Amino acid sequence: MAESEEEVDVLVQRVVKDITNAFKRNPNIDEIGVIPCPEARYNRSPIVLVENKLGVESWCVKFLLPYVHNKLLLYRQRKHWLEREALADITCTLLLLNPDFTTAWNVRKELLQCGVLNPEKDLYLGKLALTKFPKSPETWIHRRWVLQQILRQCSAMGRKHQQGEAEQADAERSQQLSDHLARTLHQEMKVCSDAACRYPSNYNAWSHRIWVLQHMAKGNVKVFHDELSSMRLWVSMHVSDHSGFHYRQFLLKELITELSLTPASTPPSSPQRRRSQVPDSSPPPPSQGPANGELSGAEAAAEEDRQLLQLFHQEVELCSDLIQSFPGHETLWSHRRHVFYLWHHWRREHQHHCSSNGGNASVRLNNSEPTLAEVGAQSCAGRGESVNGQGHASDAMEVDAASLPDPRDSKRLKRGALLPGTPGLPSEHSFVSGVLDSCGNPEQRRFALAYRKWLDTVIGQQP
Amino acid sequence: MGTQVKDVIIKPDATSTLLLDKHADYIAAYGSKKDDYEYTLSEYLRMSGIYWGLTVMDLMGQLHRMNRQEIIDFIKACQHECGGISASIGHDPHLLYTLSAVQILCLYDSVDALDVDKVVEYIKGLQQEDGSFAGDKWGEIDTRFSFCAVATLALLGKMDTINVDKAVEFVLSCMNFDGGFGCRPGSESHAGQIYCCSGFLSLTGQLHQVNADLLGWWLCERQLPSGGLNGRPEKLPDVCYSWWVLASLKIIGRIHWIDKAKLRSFILACQDEETGGFADRPGDMVDPFHTLFGVAGLSLLGDEQIKPVNPVLCMPEDVLQRINLQPDLLS
Repeated sequence: MAESEEEVDVLVQRVVKDITNAFKRNPNIDEIGVIPCPEARYNRSPIVLVENKLGVESWCVKFLLPYVHNKLLLYRQRKHWLEREALADITCTLLLLNPDFTTAWNVRKELLQCGVLNPEKDLYLGKLALTKFPKSPETWIHRRWVLQQILRQCSAMGRKHQQGEAEQADAERSQQLSDHLARTLHQEMKVCSDAACRYPSNYNAWSHRIWVLQHMAKGNVKVFHDELSSMRLWVSMHVSDHSGFHYRQFLLKELITELSLTPASTPPSSPQRRRSQVPDSSPPPPSQGPANGELSGAEAAAEEDRQLLQLFHQEVELCSDLIQSFPGHETLWSHRRHVFYLWHHWRREHQHHCSSNGGNASVRLNNSEPTLAEVGAQSCAGRGESVNGQGHASDAMEVDAASLPDPRDSKRLKRGALLPGTPGLPSEHSFVSGVLDSCGNPEQRRFALAYRKWLDTVIGQQP
Repeated sequence: MGTQVKDVIIKPDATSTLLLDKHADYIAAYGSKKDDYEYTLSEYLRMSGIYWGLTVMDLMGQLHRMNRQEIIDFIKACQHECGGISASIGHDPHLLYTLSAVQILCLYDSVDALDVDKVVEYIKGLQQEDGSFAGDKWGEIDTRFSFCAVATLALLGKMDTINVDKAVEFVLSCMNFDGGFGCRPGSESHAGQIYCCSGFLSLTGQLHQVNADLLGWWLCERQLPSGGLNGRPEKLPDVCYSWWVLASLKIIGRIHWIDKAKLRSFILACQDEETGGFADRPGDMVDPFHTLFGVAGLSLLGDEQIKPVNPVLCMPEDVLQRINLQPDLLS
């Protein structure tokens, strides 16, 4: 084992080189880790590459980290010069061992700005760091900065090409750019999912995912629908992950805003709605069918109401199923509060909207406590057109076909049949009573009683 | 079909007395192991580490045991040309460490050690058009940084240098249906962010914008059967969340809504009887961070062996009286 300062220098430089070479040898490394190994083994590198996993033997970390740490700080104080390549290697090793070292990420930002590193490589380094440190706030912060660089580059390129190119070349370029952004978005969702699986209720991973949608898919109803569908299975398998459920609440809320935002006079497929940086690139969900011609204002509004009612209906059903299958989870009860709150407010605003418009014939909400089912039956005059029905062929996001709206539901809706189990204060109270009558789990009872109290005080006392 | 509640069990023989002398010895010795691997690993947040250690020493009446001059010189060396302060020498400046540095200098009544005008310029320059604050020149936005900005300016008596109305508008845009706050608009409520946002609204005189009953409800639901508090539903209890939740409840005037005696037992059980210091949960490794929040929590719960702590700035009340700063609290 190395002892003198000189020996440590030689050892560490070799190890940093071994790490760099491992990445050159295998560009598909997908996980990093420390291998417990208290003693050095003679004449063998402490860097181990097995399949796509990169490991560092634990004995060398206590030499390696202080060395790269001090080297970078001396550089930062202008006491020691480092070539750009060496800086890239040192920050890479440092960040894989200590990803919250903010200044090391900043050095890489500077290297990115002068073109020594490229954004994709840095997203990759961050992804690897997250396999060992899935919460690391500084890694997530750096990712957002890199993504913003990519967005900026793309919008600058988009502008440049608009200025003088032939129309066809222009169209091709912008297609390439949007494909690139769609791929980046997809990869980012994957990084978030992996980190969410590695650490439960991972606040940084889920708030990053929200940020990504807000910045890269704003207004893109299709992406939000797909996310909601693909998350369904995930939350069902992670019933105590409050952050995962909050993400669903975020998606629902955004969809409500987007769908309610469309003025009745604007056809859903008009260009104003296509504010997103990422194009819709998968086929519309089967229940919605292809767009055929433009909808009238009233029909479009009714169609959107129908979609929203279906979203609420499915969410409440999912929540009831999970509460009954997995008793005693605070997360599920908290989700129920949020969904009911969203429904309650949407309905109130809707009521207001309709009455201030002199009463829209397709939506009548005047009775004191209408249920979702009744509203659904009233508002299904529209045909089953897609809200955002651009039919590009490639698959940018995975769609969980099993969780898409059931086409039979929309037929039932069109016939004006009632939806079972939809929320209203009475149905929520009877849900709580049902749980209290049938369940002996003390935690479940506690959460059910708290929900009842919440309905009475928070919802019941609102005007 | 029972569900395991995510909580800890406090053993009957858990520590139930406050071991102040042990904690003071633990903190006094902490900085002497500077060559430790762990010490290197945490250098990126050193300035906050020093704030945690010094504040808990002051709350225990032991600040004189720390090396005042060495610390002031260190802080001076961490101020950069732009006015911002870094976690340690050679690191980049950031709002997080700018606040910690100013807090430390307030404990020592030595704010003049810094170029205060430059600190103010630095903070002012980080405010964005929408009122939010970036943490540093690279632009990350978070309600934590809104708190850091106004807390630093309040301690320096320079709140009027930023656009307070816009800053308030941004923080309020991060309020959720449960009365809580997240890091950005649309983000999940989180006890740490709630502490920052309610502290922010206190310092800007806007606590009336909080729905205190609704937020108080959410905060009280953080208390688990062990008495400890968690930061979000179905997370384990933790001494630092006990502070953030408790301080938020104090700020919005709802501290009497939780079971104080049970929380006190939980915090006391997180002490290490041998080494001194507090851990996140009983039996875990201690650190200065949890030691401060353990002691500060006990102070808010009314322990008279500890100096009274201010819930907004997590500093001794006597220090704030000296600089004549009394953040609002709801009653």
